[in-house]
Amino acid sequence: MAHVDLQTGEDVAVWRILEDGALPDEAGEWLVPLGRLKDEAGSLLEEKGVRLGVLIETETPHSDLAGIGNYASFAAIRFPGFGDGRGFSLAVRLRKDYGFNGDIRAIGHVIPDQAQFLLRAGFNTSEVPEERREAFVRAVNRYKHVYQSDAQGGISILRQRHDQADTRRVS
Amino acid sequence: MYAYDTFDHAMVNARVEEFRDQVARRLSGELTEEEFRPLRLMNGLYLQLHAYMLRVAVPYGTLNSRQMRRLAHIARKYDKGYGHFTTRQNIQYNWPKLVDAPDILAELAEVEMHAIQTSGNCIRNVTTDQFAGAAHDEVADPRATAEIIRQWSTFHPEFSFLPRKFKIAITGAPKDRAAVKWHDIGLVLKKNEAGELGVEVLVGGGMGRTPVIAKTIADFVPESEMLSYLEAILRVYNEQGRRDNKYKARIKILVEDTGTEEFKRLVEEEYEAIRASFIDVPAEEVVRIRQFFAPPPLPVLADEDAGLDALAAADFRFRAWVKNNTFAHKVPGHVSVTISLKPHGGIPGDATDAQMDLVADIAEEYSHDEVRVSHEQNLILPHVAKRDLVAIWQKLDAAGLGSANVGLLTDIIACPGLDYCALANARSIPIAQAITNRFDDLKRLEDIGQLKIKISGCINSCGHHHAGHIGILGVDRKGEENYQLLLGGSGEEDASKAAILGPGFDEHGIVDAVEKVVAAYMGERKEGETFLAAYRRLGPDVFKEAVYGAR
Repeated sequence: MAHVDLQTGEDVAVWRILEDGALPDEAGEWLVPLGRLKDEAGSLLEEKGVRLGVLIETETPHSDLAGIGNYASFAAIRFPGFGDGRGFSLAVRLRKDYGFNGDIRAIGHVIPDQAQFLLRAGFNTSEVPEERREAFVRAVNRYKHVYQSDAQGGISILRQRHDQADTRRVS
Repeated sequence: MYAYDTFDHAMVNARVEEFRDQVARRLSGELTEEEFRPLRLMNGLYLQLHAYMLRVAVPYGTLNSRQMRRLAHIARKYDKGYGHFTTRQNIQYNWPKLVDAPDILAELAEVEMHAIQTSGNCIRNVTTDQFAGAAHDEVADPRATAEIIRQWSTFHPEFSFLPRKFKIAITGAPKDRAAVKWHDIGLVLKKNEAGELGVEVLVGGGMGRTPVIAKTIADFVPESEMLSYLEAILRVYNEQGRRDNKYKARIKILVEDTGTEEFKRLVEEEYEAIRASFIDVPAEEVVRIRQFFAPPPLPVLADEDAGLDALAAADFRFRAWVKNNTFAHKVPGHVSVTISLKPHGGIPGDATDAQMDLVADIAEEYSHDEVRVSHEQNLILPHVAKRDLVAIWQKLDAAGLGSANVGLLTDIIACPGLDYCALANARSIPIAQAITNRFDDLKRLEDIGQLKIKISGCINSCGHHHAGHIGILGVDRKGEENYQLLLGGSGEEDASKAAILGPGFDEHGIVDAVEKVVAAYMGERKEGETFLAAYRRLGPDVFKEAVYGAR
């Protein structure tokens, strides 16, 4: 399984998931379930050079994400299946309602055809089976213009038609 | 009607190429059927009992003659020479080959059509009044609003993987011909006291195994903020709709479980947070889209026409056709014509390639190049001068399209049922055929009057049986097809759920039962009282007695 930057298609450094009860034993990126992170962020961060990410399951109510930027420098939303669209709304909420600026990573089961949706919902990276990497990259670049504006600066076609000076692309 | 610009063309063309790539990967074996399934469904390609089925979107039921000819061409070249118009104003092809599907989509893209989001757990084709832009009772043309929603909902990054499919209907007239109360979201165009356009928003309607009539959660949302309001509804639904049970995943269940007031509060909270942001459409774009739907330049004509009157006096079939199949137009001397796709003994909603070509020709010559598809599975010529009715009827009648039964008992909605559908428990089409053969008497039908029969071949209710004045639901009972009889539903502004009358019937018994129900109505009705009004006054007992009493 590769993990790629949705915009460049390049590999991103892989973090480790912090097992229950374990402590970060070295510097680097560690992914911690939301509940534990809220409780223990202070002590976990004492380790020098540790960057903490928050692991978010799709059934998480978005209100649980309030203030998460104070604890986490990146987030990972885990899709149990590609049809679980709650992950998209969670990413939108992180950007729109909770001002989260760190990377948002899609992990679990997503498919290439969702690559552009992920990017536009606010994700930066996605887990990708190695054999689907090429399809993923193709999918991200499939649609040059889109019908919805988004919190990532994508401008909808409905606006672009009247704003020829600003035809920023989504990707 | 709306015309694509370079953005819209680029979008559908990119979609065709994407699907061509996906089909090639499937045919080469790179994709398994399991992996391919969600991809083909996103392009309206189903696998049915005998073959693939392609569902093509007819956005808000509006076609021009070029598009209709292309639909005929596709039926001829890639299918068996016919297509099936559906209750969602779409058209389905029953026999396309997988290898041809990308070419079909390319042919559609050339005439500004597609099959995007005609399946899957996403926002489906927005449906509306088949008389939009022509109806005498209309507040505003709902098609501009529907086109805005079409664009906003196409490839929505957040709402393409909802808990379940999502259907929006909109009416521009207080008289609801779009069944908006039976949709996940129903919109009613209104003007406020300042004369500004907006929508009343209803939510949580739907059929299936749990029929629910939508409830109003906003009396007036300005058109300029409509997308913010829709986005708020969809976000709450996407986050909180059930995903553990597909039969409880529609928004109607969420609204019922949450309570309408609390659901409204959740929506309004999100709406307040996002309104007047980047989501909504700029005013100049609303103007641009609305101008595509400017009324055609129709001259005011005399309401009387000597040729029409002469033929009407001489030919009772034509007289009945004018009476039943035409609808009052905004402009004097004009009507909208409904072409019945319900010939007695025929398949409701089916049209051959030759019939589609003929309708296209007639639309071009007599109806400002426009055709509509109605949710009742008929075709409409929206802008017709009364003086042309004789010529139009003669052409239609010669092609088997002269049925004068619109709104009458034989104008039946029926799903494809077990003849085609992989989900069905029972056949629908033969029941519709048997009923229309039994009642093959125009004088009798006119005497019976307005009576809507709706037939579904399973509990998914594609045939709208919950909203039928008489609803028929096919079920499987110990391996035998069995038909339940329901009475008293309505799909209009007075929406009501039909109720099961009693034990079900076999395929012959259900036809007899319908006839007994009709006989009871004829015996009990007051002067001028429709079937639905009589049922509401009388209640079910009279009909129970008529149907089951002699057993």
